[in-house]
Amino acid sequence: MPLDSKNKRSVQVLGIDAGGTMTDTFFVDADGDFVVGKAQSTPQDESIGLIESSREGLEAWGLNLSDALASLQTGVYSGTAMLNRVVQRKGLRTGLIVNAGMEDFHRMGRAIQAYLGFAYEDRIHLNTHYYDDPLVPRHLTRGVMERVDMFGTVVIPLREEGARKAARELIEQDVEGIVISFLHSYKNPTHERRVRDIVLEEVKAAGKDIPVFASVDYYPLRKETHRTNTTVLEAFAAEPSRKSLKQISAAFQEHGAKFDMRVMATHGGTISWKAKELARTIVSGPIGGVIGAKYLGETLGYSNIACTDIGGTSFDVALITQNELTIKNDPDMARLVLSLPLVAMDSVGSGAGTYIRLDPYTKAIKLGPDSAGYRVGVCWADSGVETVTISDCHVILGYLNPDNFLGGQVKLDRERAWNAMKEQVADPLGLSVEDAAAGVIELLDSDLRDYVRSMISGKGSSPSNFVCFSYGGAGPVHTYGYTQGMGFEDIIIPAWAAGFSAFGCAAADFEYRYDKSLDINIATDAADGAKADQARILQAAWDELKERVLEEFAINGYSADKVTLQPGFRMQYRGQLNDLEIESPISSAATAEDWDKLVEAFNDTYGRVYAASARSPELGYSVTGAIMRGMVPIQKPKIPHEELGPEIPPEGAKLGTRKFYRHKKWVDAQLYQMETLQPGNRITGPAIIESDATTLVVPGGFETFLDGHRLFHLKEV
Amino acid sequence: MAYTKNKIRDLVEGTIDRDTLHTMLSTPKDKERFQIYLEILQEQVPWDDRIILPLGPKLFIVQRKSDRKWVVKSLAGHEFCDWRDNWKLHAVMHVRETDAEMEELYPRLMAPTTSWQVIREYYCPLSGDLLDVEAPTPWYPVIHDFEPDIDSFYQDWLGLELPERAA
Repeated sequence: MPLDSKNKRSVQVLGIDAGGTMTDTFFVDADGDFVVGKAQSTPQDESIGLIESSREGLEAWGLNLSDALASLQTGVYSGTAMLNRVVQRKGLRTGLIVNAGMEDFHRMGRAIQAYLGFAYEDRIHLNTHYYDDPLVPRHLTRGVMERVDMFGTVVIPLREEGARKAARELIEQDVEGIVISFLHSYKNPTHERRVRDIVLEEVKAAGKDIPVFASVDYYPLRKETHRTNTTVLEAFAAEPSRKSLKQISAAFQEHGAKFDMRVMATHGGTISWKAKELARTIVSGPIGGVIGAKYLGETLGYSNIACTDIGGTSFDVALITQNELTIKNDPDMARLVLSLPLVAMDSVGSGAGTYIRLDPYTKAIKLGPDSAGYRVGVCWADSGVETVTISDCHVILGYLNPDNFLGGQVKLDRERAWNAMKEQVADPLGLSVEDAAAGVIELLDSDLRDYVRSMISGKGSSPSNFVCFSYGGAGPVHTYGYTQGMGFEDIIIPAWAAGFSAFGCAAADFEYRYDKSLDINIATDAADGAKADQARILQAAWDELKERVLEEFAINGYSADKVTLQPGFRMQYRGQLNDLEIESPISSAATAEDWDKLVEAFNDTYGRVYAASARSPELGYSVTGAIMRGMVPIQKPKIPHEELGPEIPPEGAKLGTRKFYRHKKWVDAQLYQMETLQPGNRITGPAIIESDATTLVVPGGFETFLDGHRLFHLKEV
Repeated sequence: MAYTKNKIRDLVEGTIDRDTLHTMLSTPKDKERFQIYLEILQEQVPWDDRIILPLGPKLFIVQRKSDRKWVVKSLAGHEFCDWRDNWKLHAVMHVRETDAEMEELYPRLMAPTTSWQVIREYYCPLSGDLLDVEAPTPWYPVIHDFEPDIDSFYQDWLGLELPERAA
């Protein structure tokens, strides 16, 4: 690369995806060009792998680390370290104070926790169910006498001496954090806050420095198992993450970075590592793609998007309707039910690494539920994998280039895959190896297709109203298969599909969001006075949440006037089971007219999400929760925009041909190099477009068009 | 899927990791399992008679080395009877049939009423290992739990040769 080009490139945005094995960095420059860096993860000190990965990525642009970091405007981290800590139950020694008589509810958990994350077959196979060790063991749990009922009325006053004794006993046991969670504290926080203060006094008296977490200060939400789990995570897992994020931030600053690191959070925004509620950064990678799709959609004018992501182990689908994400209120993670707002996403355990087996009795092909994950399949001799996987089928059928998997870092052996497929699947079924492999791919594709279809029809819609985005390393290999015949409005594959999650992280807003449970119930024909009363209850909750949002931004040096606030609420028809999250059309609520506006916004959204005829205003309305979101503007990656060139791809992009098997015959597929293709190029199948980290398969009967934003559009012809 | 002998040993000893156990439970049984399982058991017992079928953690049907007769034998080495007989009839037996005996195990009022149900414990006469427990009504005969069709199991299910059996 010529020397003068160094100075021209101004790197703007950094997205980080720190996985268990690899740390990906995604750099975007002022023109929207991007580069992906990869390095081995270093769990002891994550900053080492991160700096290495950055160095590797920036090298491709001929930049050195400190020059590039100095020009960076923003950096977003997402990683799996916290999740792993929770999955392995290796967190800090945490003490828990609950109601006297309720000391066992945390370790008993909810029955669903015994099979969360299981495949359907295992959910109904009782023998596989098991309970994990609780985050807080019984000997670090203490009960304190008090009781508040579900209306917030004090039924038993707080016995303060009991709280003091509990605190002392926990402090004596050298806990590293103390969590307090009482029944119905979200309705009446006084007892819980009083116990918090007592515990703080006792910690001080003992001359120690132990953080104390009252559930109501963090997650004032109903469902005590969810609330307790989530608050315990703050003490158990989030505090160690805070330390490592601080380390990462410091390492970047040492190398000249001027930005403050942000972290992807479950609600789809990014928050500072200094944030009070850090447990919500527990999941971050997979939702990045959904945020990226939403951002692309907003910029390019797609409002209904089906986001599909295939990685090594799972197929994740999320729907964006009218530019809105669906937020799930009580998600589960690491086999725990939690009270976090999470971008709703459905997963099936079918990815590129999914194992293929024959049922020994019926000879039916069975996919998964387990997978080889990053170990690819039998085709990778060093992997130690002995059972054939989906990737093996791809190698056998010529979909993947065995010499250019992950840019050639992993050499795949087609013959190994072929022999294993013959022995394990083809021979027992009396099929040729090609037909067996193609059959498996068709089976997977039809599974995925049914899954996407049922998700969309579950929303009362049809695929023709949706644009399908396909990304993830293995996504573009399958795109044609799981979209065929669905009738999507358009099918889009970003050229940076493999780094799309990191891109999405970089595109997320700097946004805090707080939730509070409410129990507002009101008839449609209620008097104005009653409506105004309810409006005021909602407003009081908004005020409380607003304080906390502004407090978080103040930690990062943003004054209240810089913050855009967006109140919201969750509403449902009375007696129904599912609520909808609504952005409030008004910034504050006080009168009956205000109330009517909220109801109108709910009815509109209901009609849009389901169907107008399904609206049931005669039932009256319930508000189940108040939401406050606050945002400040940040630098986002630009979406590339290039002039359209000729339809014929340049000769330089052609890489020869490869034998490709589909519909019972071998054909010669034209190979292209993805990065060399020009906007405007149109490619008719059979063709395979290769890049280091992903492969786009365009079989016969399909064509693809590369637009000016480096998005491939796939179409049946 | 095949598992290593060490994994099966972990399974037998109860130290297996959760992920492998889950895979074992939710996939069809690996066909070599029974033989590997027997090998591991064989290494753990203090005698040389060949194990034909385990009946419990400390009880087996074995082929007696000296005369190839199949007998029921405990881990400690006590030979009970012919493999077709009910070994319980030859064990040391303890019956809990009074409130006091029940309350050694259960809190008062949470134990069975002994006129309706008794607990019969069967012990190895050599080691005192508890080999089995049954909880029938007081008058019920000693239960013969299991009359295995070993011929079909070996030959038809597993495709193994039936070990020699002296009449």
